[in-house]
Amino acid sequence: MRSLRTITLAALAGVLTVGVAACGSSNSSKSANAGISAPQGVLTPANESWTGGKRGGTLNVLNHEDFEHIDPGQSYFAIDYEAVYATQRPLYSYNPNKFAPVPDMAESAPQISSDAKTITIHIRHGVHFSPPVNREVTSADVAYALDRGANTNVANPYFEAYFKSLEGFSKAKGGPISGITTPDKYTIVLKLTEPKAQIVADALVLPVSAAVPQEYAKKFDEKKPSEYGNFQVATGPYMWKADSSGKILGIGYQPGKSATLVRNPNWNASTDFRPGYLDQINISIGGDPTVIGRQALEGSHTVQNDTPAQSIVKLAFEKFRSQLFIAPGAGNRYVALNNSHGPFTNVNLRKAVWAALDREAMDKARGGSLVTIPATHFIYPEIPGFEEAGGIAGPKFDYNEHPQGDPAVAEKYMKLAGFSSGKYTGGTTIQVVGSTGNPASTDAEIVNQTLKNLGFKTKFNLVDQSVMYSKFCGVVTEEIDVCPNVGWLADFADGQAALDVPFNGKNIITNGTNSNWGQVNHPKINKAMEAAENVVGASARAAAWGKIDKELVEEAVAAPWDWDKQPAVEAKDVAGAGDVWNEASWDYSFTSLK
Amino acid sequence: MTRYIIRRLLWGVLLLILVTALLFVLFYVLPAGDPAKLRAGRLQNPKIIAAIRADLGLNKPLLTQFWIYIRNLGLHFNFGYSYYSNASVKSLILDRLPATISLVAGGAVIWLASGLGVGIISALRPRSRLDRASMGGALVLVSAPEYWLGLILLYLFAADIGQVKIFPGANSYVPLTTDPVKWFTSLILPWLVVAASNAAIYARLIRGSLIESLGQDYIRTARAKGLTERRVVLRHGVRSAINPILTIVGLDIGVLLGSSVLVETVFDIPGIGKLNYDAITHSDFPIVQGTVLFAALFIIVANILVDIGYAYLDPRVRYS
Repeated sequence: MRSLRTITLAALAGVLTVGVAACGSSNSSKSANAGISAPQGVLTPANESWTGGKRGGTLNVLNHEDFEHIDPGQSYFAIDYEAVYATQRPLYSYNPNKFAPVPDMAESAPQISSDAKTITIHIRHGVHFSPPVNREVTSADVAYALDRGANTNVANPYFEAYFKSLEGFSKAKGGPISGITTPDKYTIVLKLTEPKAQIVADALVLPVSAAVPQEYAKKFDEKKPSEYGNFQVATGPYMWKADSSGKILGIGYQPGKSATLVRNPNWNASTDFRPGYLDQINISIGGDPTVIGRQALEGSHTVQNDTPAQSIVKLAFEKFRSQLFIAPGAGNRYVALNNSHGPFTNVNLRKAVWAALDREAMDKARGGSLVTIPATHFIYPEIPGFEEAGGIAGPKFDYNEHPQGDPAVAEKYMKLAGFSSGKYTGGTTIQVVGSTGNPASTDAEIVNQTLKNLGFKTKFNLVDQSVMYSKFCGVVTEEIDVCPNVGWLADFADGQAALDVPFNGKNIITNGTNSNWGQVNHPKINKAMEAAENVVGASARAAAWGKIDKELVEEAVAAPWDWDKQPAVEAKDVAGAGDVWNEASWDYSFTSLK
Repeated sequence: MTRYIIRRLLWGVLLLILVTALLFVLFYVLPAGDPAKLRAGRLQNPKIIAAIRADLGLNKPLLTQFWIYIRNLGLHFNFGYSYYSNASVKSLILDRLPATISLVAGGAVIWLASGLGVGIISALRPRSRLDRASMGGALVLVSAPEYWLGLILLYLFAADIGQVKIFPGANSYVPLTTDPVKWFTSLILPWLVVAASNAAIYARLIRGSLIESLGQDYIRTARAKGLTERRVVLRHGVRSAINPILTIVGLDIGVLLGSSVLVETVFDIPGIGKLNYDAITHSDFPIVQGTVLFAALFIIVANILVDIGYAYLDPRVRYS
């Protein structure tokens, strides 16, 4: 759930892509995902080149944003992942063009026991840590990496969410977790208290599973907070530039200024599926988005590797189309309606809002068809379950038929809700809290106007996005009725990762920041989710979570309005490989120079 | 004079403590300002938040926390550590200081030289075409936002994305000690932007002040004594007219040292202003606190220097 930050980033993308609307897609080509189109000439996961690249050279990366956390045990952000997945080898990771895991440090797919309570993974032979550790990676290093997930000094943000079914998790404080054993140097076994092996196995694509040498890292992990990130060793094709002691801070990473990745001298290409074409990656941090985007487009051996500015996407589309990459699968956006309090406990009122909403106008405010797709359900493209839930067209319900909004259908549901005039006549003034900054504010205003057209009296507030989440939409006791600007980005390609936290009643948090913003708590759906969590096998899970998605639509638990697509730009002499699984970021391990 | 200076310094220290206290309180009442939650990441695991709260000493009473902060600051010059990179805020600020000083010092030289030059010439020929053109130009430059002006200069003259590729563009800054020539050329465009609006203001200020001075009786007396016009203007007119300029130049430099955010951002110069901007964007409060305190320090020091300079020039100030 890289939701808050990455959706913030995506929101920035939205801010920056206004004006690209109506760039047109009439002359379009299909991308990797069936049904997702992109304009002719634009790079997509389907036509990008990531094999047969030229070896050598230095790639210059211009980023406006800095890393958040470079420790693989803590990183949880698209920009972090750009470097973490180039320097570390989690048990599983991805090829650039597909949001589907492939064995990385693992030798093969995980073996899941028939009771779904044991996962056995064999790791590769001959993978070595970078200097100053240098020795071969063993399963004990993977075990220690996972142990770190429960270490509060490391402060991993997702370990509990996905790994709490590990035996001994409840007592884990960073020391060995009893459910993680290493029968030999190349085998690791995870024992669970519940049959949740599939979601645990899926989560092994996250960087917390990247091996960490205990004898080297322990002293750093004892610091509060852990300092391992600034002294980390690598297993991937690249490593952070460091001094002989392994120190990175101030050498290979200068916060807010620059970062340098160099070849890992101990990397053995024969053990890796990544080509690692480049010799070095120089990352400059902090430039103005309108300047660095232009520098990337007009420069040499250069890419911008965070969200390009609106003017840059437009410029790239008009003049440098072959240098523009668009990837689907960058999250969803929806209007959260309070299912547990106030007028929207009435399902027909929720359906009326959905029917009335002009989703096309909201998407147009974000940049139109180049960077958005009007959403018809919650699982978004590239996530398994998307097609099962209805694909682009979505489940067949009359309130979902017209993305431009349908007043007649809205009126029908208002009447079914007990308002014979077709307008809301209840005395309640509903509270709507949206996010400041265009286009989020424009989208929020469209929602507010839609509500007013339905007869609601609204108290409409726009606040900073972080405040919207932390003080209003994420606080149950605030009883906010409508949050127009919320969105979700799954941590990995699984329906559960896309739906569980925002729509499962058990995830409503009353003593902290809640991410089930609509306080969705429908016993039937909760039960279906509980059953689906235990399903093993990719296609079976896609079917199960696709079905749940349909049920969420049937209950109109919220009104989805956008599936984001993410743009990225590169220089003409770069053969960039954009990651569909990481918001279109250029993948340093696959990108090469022409 | 010594007592006066000591008094000003004590006021400066008191002011710094007040600013520190204000900043400290501000970050506790700001929305989304819980340091433990910020450090915990976005899944907001209550167990981790509790552990971080204990580690950071946030369970202690507010006054105790403030005392610890002041103690670390006063005794160890320790501003704390970044929530994200764990880097020492002090080292981050000291690392950025040379870039900011380079930017502001060079800019100040240009704006003083050009602003004072144009202002004096305008004052000597009031209402002439030159005067009108200079003051009109000054008005345009004062009105031009730094961010916009920076972008325009880059799109016109930057070697990478400019129409006429003359000067190094954004992200070309190198420290003076690394390569003096590159340092100089990389700062030409940023200096021009920093200098533009300030030079315009200074030109208008010196013009007004000098016109007033040149109308004084002592100027007439100087001329009657047969002094050359050059001597009258420079030794008697400008010397008197420049006092208000000296007052604001100290403050302007102090302010710019702490807040040249826009120019540093447009030209990607890793200075203190950009450090502060990035920290605000990421809610990295120890860095925001550190940079704001540094900015306050610059302004207070500049203020004290101006006060002392004033007292030196005009003894009446010491007794007021």
